[in-house]
Amino acid sequence: MNKKLLLSLVLLSSISVDVSATPQELLKGYEAQSGMASSARGEQFFNAKHGKEWSCASCHENPPNHDTKHIVTGKVIKSLSPNTNPERFIDQAKVEKWFKRNCNDVLAHECTAQEKADVLSWLMKVK
Amino acid sequence: MKTYIFIALLASLAMPVSASNMGIPAGAPKSYEAECASCHMAYPPGLLGQKNWQNIISGLDKHFGTDASLDTKTESEISRWLLKHAATKKKYSAFALENRITKTTWFIRKHDEVRSDVWKRSGVKSPANCTACHVDAAKGNFDEDRVQIPTK
Repeated sequence: MNKKLLLSLVLLSSISVDVSATPQELLKGYEAQSGMASSARGEQFFNAKHGKEWSCASCHENPPNHDTKHIVTGKVIKSLSPNTNPERFIDQAKVEKWFKRNCNDVLAHECTAQEKADVLSWLMKVK
Repeated sequence: MKTYIFIALLASLAMPVSASNMGIPAGAPKSYEAECASCHMAYPPGLLGQKNWQNIISGLDKHFGTDASLDTKTESEISRWLLKHAATKKKYSAFALENRITKTTWFIRKHDEVRSDVWKRSGVKSPANCTACHVDAAKGNFDEDRVQIPTK
């Protein structure tokens, strides 16, 4: 096989591997941008309203360890805790997309890295 | 005989917009399910006209009270497909207020016998929750005889 082609295949495969992550890796990333996560702060943040109509728990419930229903549409939302749903917090782009959308829904602005670290560290403890 | 031919003709005319044949057209980008059907069912594009879909796509950051924004690439791929398969028949393509399927004339008429308390049942929650009563809605079947209204 042509060396250049082989090299680009190797590069491509490493790129596709880089997209996936573990909850621990994502948490470390958020902590690196802010400070140590506090799961107690995350729990409080998750269950509180922040000036708008909804909290995170409005759709994900508390504890978020089971399938729930969207508060408006009734559509099933898969369990949020990575301990109960291995599909959660393993794709950085997906995680960022939903933090952006849902933080805008709950806070009317995006979440800080500290807030994301706190919430994620709590979710990783929810059994 | 003439009557039979007439009935057959009527039936064939009705097919493309029949309530049992209102599914997701082929060629749907994978992103439609992932991006649009996380919070609500994947609505068939044929339930709204082009203008309504255009409005919805251009206002995704304020989508019925939530932020449903997309990256540019995904937005254009979904948009292209929605517009290609948007309703064309007058009945379904007439402009819907607030860009809501539930505000279309046909939707209101089809559901005029549903009492207001039925919409509020926890098993229904919202008129936008098609699958609550139309159990095969996700397969594109909205037939009246497949309707099961939750009692609670």
